[in-house]
Amino acid sequence: MNRRSFLTALTAAAASSALPVASRAALTTAFTFELEPPMTERAAFVDWMANNRGEDRGFLGERWDRLQAMAASRDVWDDAIKRAFLLTPREEFVLKVNRSHSYDHNFLDIGFGVTISGPHLVGRMTNSLDIKRGDKVLEIGTGSGYQSSFLAHLTDQCYSIEIIKPLAERTRGVYDALIARGYSEFQNITTQNADGYYGWEEFAPFDKIIVTCGIDHVPPPLLKQLQPNGVMLVPIGPPGAQRVLKIIKDVETDGSTHIARTDIYNGRIVPFVPFKKLDGDKVSGTHNT
Amino acid sequence: MQNAPDLNCGVRLYVAVGLVAGAVISLQISVMRIFAVGNWAHFGSFVVSIAMLGVGVSSTVMCVRQPWFERHWRGVASGALLAFGPVAVGANLLAQQLPFNAIFLLADNTQKWRLAGNFVLYLLPFFTGSLFLGAVFLKTRQQFARVYFADLIGCGACGLATLGGMWIYAPDHLILIPLMLWLAAGIAWAATLSSPRLLLGLAVAGFIAWSGQTWLADRFELTRLAVSEYKGVSYAQRFPDARRVYDRATPFGHIEVYASSYLHFAPGLSDNAALNLTEMPDNAYLGLYIDGDGPIGIIRDLPAAQTAYFDYLPTALPFALKKDADVFVVQFGGGLSTAGALRKDARSVTVADSNPAVLSAFRRDPTLREFTGDILAKPRVKVVAQDGRIFLSHTDQRYDVVDLSLADSAGLSNPGGFAIAEKYNYTSEAMQTYMHALRPGGILAVTLWNKEEPPKSVLRLYATMVAAAREMGAADIARCFYVVSNYLSTATVLYQRGGFSDAQVKTLKARARALSFDEIQAPGAHPDLQGTDNVMAAYRAQLFGSLPASSDGSTPPTSLASTDDGLGAETGDAPSVMPSVALAHAAWQALLAGQWQNFAAGYVYDLHPLTNQRPYFAAYLRPTDLPRVLDRLDLLQDEWGYLLVWATLIIACCAGAVLIALPAVFGWRGLLARCPGKAGTLLYFACLGAGYIMVEVVLISHFVLALSNATVAATVLITGMLVFSGCGSLCADRYLDSARRVMPFIFLAIAALLIGYGLAIDSALDFVGSLPYGWRLPCCFLLILPPAFLMGMPMPTGMTWLARLGKEQMFLWAWGVNGCMSVIGAALVPLLATSLGLSSALMLAGLLYLVALPAFYALLRPMTPVAEG
Repeated sequence: MNRRSFLTALTAAAASSALPVASRAALTTAFTFELEPPMTERAAFVDWMANNRGEDRGFLGERWDRLQAMAASRDVWDDAIKRAFLLTPREEFVLKVNRSHSYDHNFLDIGFGVTISGPHLVGRMTNSLDIKRGDKVLEIGTGSGYQSSFLAHLTDQCYSIEIIKPLAERTRGVYDALIARGYSEFQNITTQNADGYYGWEEFAPFDKIIVTCGIDHVPPPLLKQLQPNGVMLVPIGPPGAQRVLKIIKDVETDGSTHIARTDIYNGRIVPFVPFKKLDGDKVSGTHNT
Repeated sequence: MQNAPDLNCGVRLYVAVGLVAGAVISLQISVMRIFAVGNWAHFGSFVVSIAMLGVGVSSTVMCVRQPWFERHWRGVASGALLAFGPVAVGANLLAQQLPFNAIFLLADNTQKWRLAGNFVLYLLPFFTGSLFLGAVFLKTRQQFARVYFADLIGCGACGLATLGGMWIYAPDHLILIPLMLWLAAGIAWAATLSSPRLLLGLAVAGFIAWSGQTWLADRFELTRLAVSEYKGVSYAQRFPDARRVYDRATPFGHIEVYASSYLHFAPGLSDNAALNLTEMPDNAYLGLYIDGDGPIGIIRDLPAAQTAYFDYLPTALPFALKKDADVFVVQFGGGLSTAGALRKDARSVTVADSNPAVLSAFRRDPTLREFTGDILAKPRVKVVAQDGRIFLSHTDQRYDVVDLSLADSAGLSNPGGFAIAEKYNYTSEAMQTYMHALRPGGILAVTLWNKEEPPKSVLRLYATMVAAAREMGAADIARCFYVVSNYLSTATVLYQRGGFSDAQVKTLKARARALSFDEIQAPGAHPDLQGTDNVMAAYRAQLFGSLPASSDGSTPPTSLASTDDGLGAETGDAPSVMPSVALAHAAWQALLAGQWQNFAAGYVYDLHPLTNQRPYFAAYLRPTDLPRVLDRLDLLQDEWGYLLVWATLIIACCAGAVLIALPAVFGWRGLLARCPGKAGTLLYFACLGAGYIMVEVVLISHFVLALSNATVAATVLITGMLVFSGCGSLCADRYLDSARRVMPFIFLAIAALLIGYGLAIDSALDFVGSLPYGWRLPCCFLLILPPAFLMGMPMPTGMTWLARLGKEQMFLWAWGVNGCMSVIGAALVPLLATSLGLSSALMLAGLLYLVALPAFYALLRPMTPVAEG
């Protein structure tokens, strides 16, 4: 093998190892908004998902355990959100090298200088949005695709824009592969590679908007495309220590519009939660100790 | 012991030593630049500090096997020298293929190993460099003062040359400068030994190193400088239509400007702009990046209709009161404030910037000139090519508006955190300067990012500005301030000289309402402070609270604010006033009532005002609180610059202890037993090592006050300190015989000078800052001269006396201790400066030189004769 061939093969191997991978099992039960996996017992959940959705039992167990931690810390509280979390295969949206950490507390690198947020933050953000079936949701910054895939179990109208073309294409590829395997719920997600600053006029207005890109102001076009009484979330700060700004476009009884700023804790001060290690479904310490 | 006859201590040797020492310091500067551009500057300091322990490692190795090194000095020195170039290139290239990602340092264990790998790799060239120097020092110990003179002069001159070379070489090729110095050193060394074979070896090593850095890296597509994907410039490069329109490597930073339709700037824009404006400008911005950090917005010269959004920026607030104003912009940055002032029909706009490379780009580059409508050449714009703070302190000009707004990077995220950097533009002294430069009724407008929760930077800003107003003797301070903020966006403080009238307050209130900004302080306002204690307690518990186990043993549900159910916050309306806003109200009431000390004492972070002694928006965690956050460092990413200094100190202390102990363990008891004054000798060199570096580091920080620019200050200091110390070292050679009598005066003079500088240097530098720039440089050198000259004497005196007394076994050990303590001293300075003030480090250094005085007499105790045993 000459040097060029060797390097090419090496690069290809490295690239393939960096991409998210789809597991190969088939789904026997297609998604509907009425689909209800068992939510009272770990073993029943794992069995049901393995049999009906063909997912890996190890990841399913980790997903269940993480949900218990999220529920205990009140990062999710609605049953609909819990159900959406349990139905979303997070491991499909992380890099292969990080698959074993899919259900860790912390954020993970997905390449291109972008992270996939930790499950607690995603849960808290999603629950704060209070999404109802039929809500039109716009995501600015598709990233790994996990946030939209979570949302796709709550509403059939998810729109997501990614500015980085290779990342947009990669994530679209993940969705398409999952759809091909039977994850029909991801057909609820419409994506495009564009500058999210201008929103998506074609499908506006939106009931909810999530902005996950760094910018020094809230883009006026997005606020314009937000429905009256709509909600927008904007994470601010470095990964791991983010505060999530919550913007509500209030329309008063006299017809005037007022934009209110709060956060996803509704202005309450809650304890910082360091990265957690899980021992089964128990928190056994942090990754820093 | 007599000097070996086969090493001629002539000019060629001194040149070789000087160039090797210079190559080492040049490599140090290059590696720090590589980290500043590719990663984050404080990680560069961290890695280099640890790598400099290579000095200690090499001296320990030589200590343990001194007889062997005595016999093989020629091979060791020549081999180490030949290895330096290839090892430096190889280590750097390998390290760049093994980049670590700072933001995953805590979450991902592999990143810790990568960082450790970087330490080891960068330690290697420093090890080889110091091995050469150690072998030469050992061989020439009787003439140590002269060799040390060469070492210091070489460091100073080559440091200067490296900074000059930054005009020529971009950071990814900066390592070529130490390579050139190394090659020159090799030639001088070969000439010293009259060895053609060595010259041949050097040619081969030089070819390997040079081709490795250039041809080999190209051929195998090796990254010479891996820029983190999380740096601002990396994002710009990924925009589909991104184009680099300006690129210049300078000692003031690697300046890059990118064009892309994906860049949008409106820092702190009111959300209400969306409700009232029909358009935001398209394709109107460039992004300015300095060392990959940014972007700083540059705005196109736009028609008035497209800049209507300026009215919705916090920086427009002073213009609600001031028409036809003479405006002074303290820091030009990318020109957004300047463009805003021009749009507001300012009569004149005077702009300053301490970075000449930025001003040069805007004045000379045709692309930037065309894009900005040649903003710096507009008739109403006057440019001051120096620090605005210094200009204002020495001008009779007075202004209607002085603006200091969001001049730094506009990025919302700060992965990697902030380095501990002096922010002299924001100190109480600087604020007084700005206030003094106002006409009666003039307004000082300061806008800062308000993205922290719990808030910290803005609270320090508030305290600083009120302290400045008090110093100015304002009669009714409450009338002088109007403050607004936007949650998780910006905070703007307006100070009016003479105080706001009721009509003006009414106008500002109306404007703040129109922008939906939170009013934090207004003359005559009496906010409801109920619940402040709860907020303070909740913030403390938020950061330091432990999470008790819940009944099921999983993550406990805890809410620490005054909540309804005590469990969570998922339902119900948000409070009408956010906790951080309520806290800011309370902070202002405490400030105005003179009760700031009490308020700050109860707060979760250290809130001291910024002064020229403690000019930092960093180190918010009190040192006593550090043990309480060790399990949650991921939540304090913006403090990593500070935390890494602690890490450096701890690692250096541990490594130093090991390196000091090792020679004692490896069969040295017999020899040491005949060496009286061992502890005193080690203490002597420890004091010199820590004391010298502390003075150097702290003076660099101080001199920014007069020289405005950190790069220039570092250049002047490094060159001045080392060259003058080299002269002192040479002078010490003449007083060796009378050292016992002379040195006490030297130590006392050094201590007196350093303590005196600690007390008075700010005033002196303030005066120097008022002079034309051409005069400032010689004045700064004059200020450095007395202590630097004297501080150059104790080290060679001590080392030479060790050799004269036959304490060879202590010689290398002492050198290693000195090296280790340099790392510890360098880490101590920012910790002392952030806790006690910059001068405390100078005074401590003075005390260390006092401690060295009695230790010197311990060093002079003669060897115990064997016969006496």
